[in-house]
Amino acid sequence: MKRKILSALLCVAMTATMLAGCGGEAKDSTDDKQETTDDTAGDDAATDDAAGDDAAGDDAADDSAGGDQKLTVWCWDPAFNIFSMEEAGKVYQADHPEFSVEVVETPWDDIQTKLTTAATSGDLSTMPDIILMQDNAFQKNVISYPEAFVDLTDSGVDFSQFSEAKTAYSVVEGKNYGVPFDNGAVIAAYRTDVLEQAGMKVDDFTDITWDEYLEKGKTVLEKTGKPLLSCQAGESDVIMMMLQSCGASLFDDDGNPALVGNDALKKVMETYAALKEAGVLVEVNDWDQYISTMTTETVAGTINGCWIMASIKTAEDQSGKWAITNMPKFKDLENATNFSNNGGSSWAITANCQNVDLAKDFLASTFAGSVELYENIISCGALATYLPAGDSDVYAQGDEFFGGDAVSAKIVEFAGKTPSNNTGVYYYEARDAVATAMQNIVGGASVDDELQLAQETIESQMQ
Amino acid sequence: MSQVKEPKKRKMSLERRHNLTGWAFLTPATLMIAVMSFWPMIQAFILSLQTGKANNLSFGDPLANYVRMFRDNVFMTSLGNTFLYLIIQVPIMLVLALILASMLNNKDLRCKGLFRTAIFLPCATSLVSYAIIFRSLFGVDGFINTMLIKFGILNTGYNFLGHATSAKIIIIIALIWRWTGYNMVFYLSGLQNIEYSVYEAAKIDGASPMQTFFKITVPLLKPTILLTAIMSTNGTLQLFDESVNLTKGGPANATITMSHYIYNISFKYVPTFGYAAAMSFLIFILVAILAFVQMKVGDKRD
Amino acid sequence: MTKTKRLNVFMYIFLTIVSLISVFPLYWMLISATNKSVDVSRGAMLPGTALIDNWKALISQSSVGLAMVNSFKYAIILTACALVICSLAGYGFEIYHDKGKDAVMSVLLLGMMVPFVATMIPLFRMFSAAKLLNTTIAVIFPTISTPFLIMMFRQSARSFPHDIIEAARIDGLNEIQIFFRMFIPTMRSTYAAAMTITFMNAWNNYLWPKVILQDDVSITMPMLVANLTEGYVTDYGVLMLAVLLCSLPTVIIFFLLQKSFAEGITGAVK
Repeated sequence: MKRKILSALLCVAMTATMLAGCGGEAKDSTDDKQETTDDTAGDDAATDDAAGDDAAGDDAADDSAGGDQKLTVWCWDPAFNIFSMEEAGKVYQADHPEFSVEVVETPWDDIQTKLTTAATSGDLSTMPDIILMQDNAFQKNVISYPEAFVDLTDSGVDFSQFSEAKTAYSVVEGKNYGVPFDNGAVIAAYRTDVLEQAGMKVDDFTDITWDEYLEKGKTVLEKTGKPLLSCQAGESDVIMMMLQSCGASLFDDDGNPALVGNDALKKVMETYAALKEAGVLVEVNDWDQYISTMTTETVAGTINGCWIMASIKTAEDQSGKWAITNMPKFKDLENATNFSNNGGSSWAITANCQNVDLAKDFLASTFAGSVELYENIISCGALATYLPAGDSDVYAQGDEFFGGDAVSAKIVEFAGKTPSNNTGVYYYEARDAVATAMQNIVGGASVDDELQLAQETIESQMQ
Repeated sequence: MSQVKEPKKRKMSLERRHNLTGWAFLTPATLMIAVMSFWPMIQAFILSLQTGKANNLSFGDPLANYVRMFRDNVFMTSLGNTFLYLIIQVPIMLVLALILASMLNNKDLRCKGLFRTAIFLPCATSLVSYAIIFRSLFGVDGFINTMLIKFGILNTGYNFLGHATSAKIIIIIALIWRWTGYNMVFYLSGLQNIEYSVYEAAKIDGASPMQTFFKITVPLLKPTILLTAIMSTNGTLQLFDESVNLTKGGPANATITMSHYIYNISFKYVPTFGYAAAMSFLIFILVAILAFVQMKVGDKRD
Repeated sequence: MTKTKRLNVFMYIFLTIVSLISVFPLYWMLISATNKSVDVSRGAMLPGTALIDNWKALISQSSVGLAMVNSFKYAIILTACALVICSLAGYGFEIYHDKGKDAVMSVLLLGMMVPFVATMIPLFRMFSAAKLLNTTIAVIFPTISTPFLIMMFRQSARSFPHDIIEAARIDGLNEIQIFFRMFIPTMRSTYAAAMTITFMNAWNNYLWPKVILQDDVSITMPMLVANLTEGYVTDYGVLMLAVLLCSLPTVIIFFLLQKSFAEGITGAVK
């Protein structure tokens, strides 16, 4: 028995060593595989060709393409981004039967790591044609690696069709580098049944100020035992949403950190601390727990980017018990609104794209030109930042889960009113420093001291 | 005279042949490490002397990055955290693994296979699930708090991951949980090289289990203990997964580790690879010193 | 006698508690894999009925089969190469040890002490220059020869009786024959432990493969799990099923090999 195991082990070892020794062979097999995929893709195109023979879509992109009509895309989330990209591929295929899109599912963190590694090594050949980029990281990546992206300013995409707050993320030095995609407009979602127990309605939470929110939150907490809001400790999402709703930023126009002497930020942090102190806001430790505060009905509402609706909806038994409205605003601050943004992403074309014209035309005629596409993808909860889509009938339909309200149209409207925010290159550094400061403030530290410290941390990281 | 010289000469050449065989045996592995570790290390070292963002690097002041480290609050915090984990977690874990291994090496123990597999399971369990579980166990409404309230130790739930000290303790518990079984594997395999008759003899001589453990098991396992000590020191100083997945370095950087911060500097923030490389080299030097000390203490051939 | 008995009882209790604590997360994983996402987030502790639905969802949204095959391919090739190359070196370092080799060993040990984040970009540059991106070689090469494994074999070779070598030499075996016919069979327990550990590390390797592999067809299990956690909505039932599948191979390998490195088979070599 012993001997058997041993000889088996040795056999495997020997074969493997030989395999590893024949470098070329191993590589060939990968190449073969690629060829096979290419073949299947080709076959697909062929079938499409046969099916859509009459569609004689012949424009600039096709002429310059010279054969290869396939685009490779990296993005994440099959239910959302990937679904949308594939739908876009179908929409474009209707006019361009030769066209195909290959989506490689890649989490955002991995896209960032691969991008950084490739760009730093100076070998972009591993990059796909199009990547989806978090809006928060757009400035950082384009400024760090300008050679890795394609300028889209004159690509035929009409950027005026998107809300300004959204396009601002992907504009670097006056040039557009991204085609806006999903909507991160902030919504406030409330449990109408819980509010009712406290003698209130959603209307009582529409167009209110944070002071009113705090007072009403205390009443809800007292009568139902449920806080109005939960969020992740150590994340700055809520702070950043509050800040952007005032049109304020963590950086000044020259890109210097502006934490000290930033009245809006100070007010935001004080409000956050007051909400936490009163128990109206409860902090949990991670995303899973945040979601479960809603699914287990331990909170009476939440404030987040509109994509949070998809998670709320997983608790099917709560259908009809939720309602959506705008977020509270800051009373005394200039430019303060009831609208903000959290999350969201945009499409970028990489410098490795061999067929830039095709990629540009594809994006321009789908994500920046097709209401039909946005109608198709609304089923997965992907809401447009493309303003014309908001006028579509599909967006005006009511959603039973949210009491029959036409939430989609509402959100597109919110998005249009959101003030823009200067993320700057050092946005992640600043967010982390602010989150750290906030945790210390909640722990009893003084706001001014912590902002001073946070500013110093960012400045040292900007060296 | 010549009679004596003859065999000596032959022996010499034999020794030389063995010596060369030895070199031949270790050449493939050594070459691969040289190419896959040392060459990139040298490049990383050159990088650590450069300052600048992304690809705009330049040799300004070659020590700038090394000086910057000691002025960087976040880095100093991460250094302190990492050492705290090292000093507390590694000894506890290794002793526990040793005790478990010697228990499981007992000939008369039943269900050995079951116990062994159970104790090994944590390190085979995917990080994702283990992070989710630990976070939910120690959540405000989590299992641990529910128990503590039930037994009257606490009145309301305590946010373990929300406070600096308790969050650090949880990381240490998590590390012990995950890696004890892993180290146990080395001890179990090391114990196989000890003749069971040694234990029998000790038993006949009337040695207590304690005495057997300290007088026989520990000394004979010394080479393996040294191996695991160096491994764990290295692993802890490069600790990354737990900080990222369990606490995200929080609350307020109270649990962030050096590798986690280096990762942030390289991939989350605007990349300053020179600085990241410099910090990596500090870790390298620290591990090397500790490993050297451990080798001096533990690596003597009898 | 009673003292020994009491000690035995204590031992069983202790081991049972440790085992229960160790097994709990796996239990939770199993339970979660059979529940709907919303129930998982509500803290389900009992088996649910959604296993088949979760499985259908998993195979419809990801290529589990492909990822499994890839992961096995990389892990097996890597483990086999690593065992041969590193045990040869560990044996060489110990059996023929002299000052020079000891010094080389100390230098090699330094190799494992640099954080991978620091060497990743130079490594990438190297493989890109060699036009090896996206190949099996690029995935496995950096971790075939590890100072850790060499040291493990070196440490255990220390207990390999030198008189066996002498006896074998007198019998006319050459050095390579001694290694294959004497050392490997004797050190079965070390090989089994090394195999388990190396396979586990290779299986769970995530950062490097994800940097070096680009296309959809080379996805590995850890990458698949990572894909499932990204996104606005995480389906925890499906995620836990994937995580379970990702953990199983290591557990099975451990289970199969544990006898070799832990059952009292001493005295095999006499």
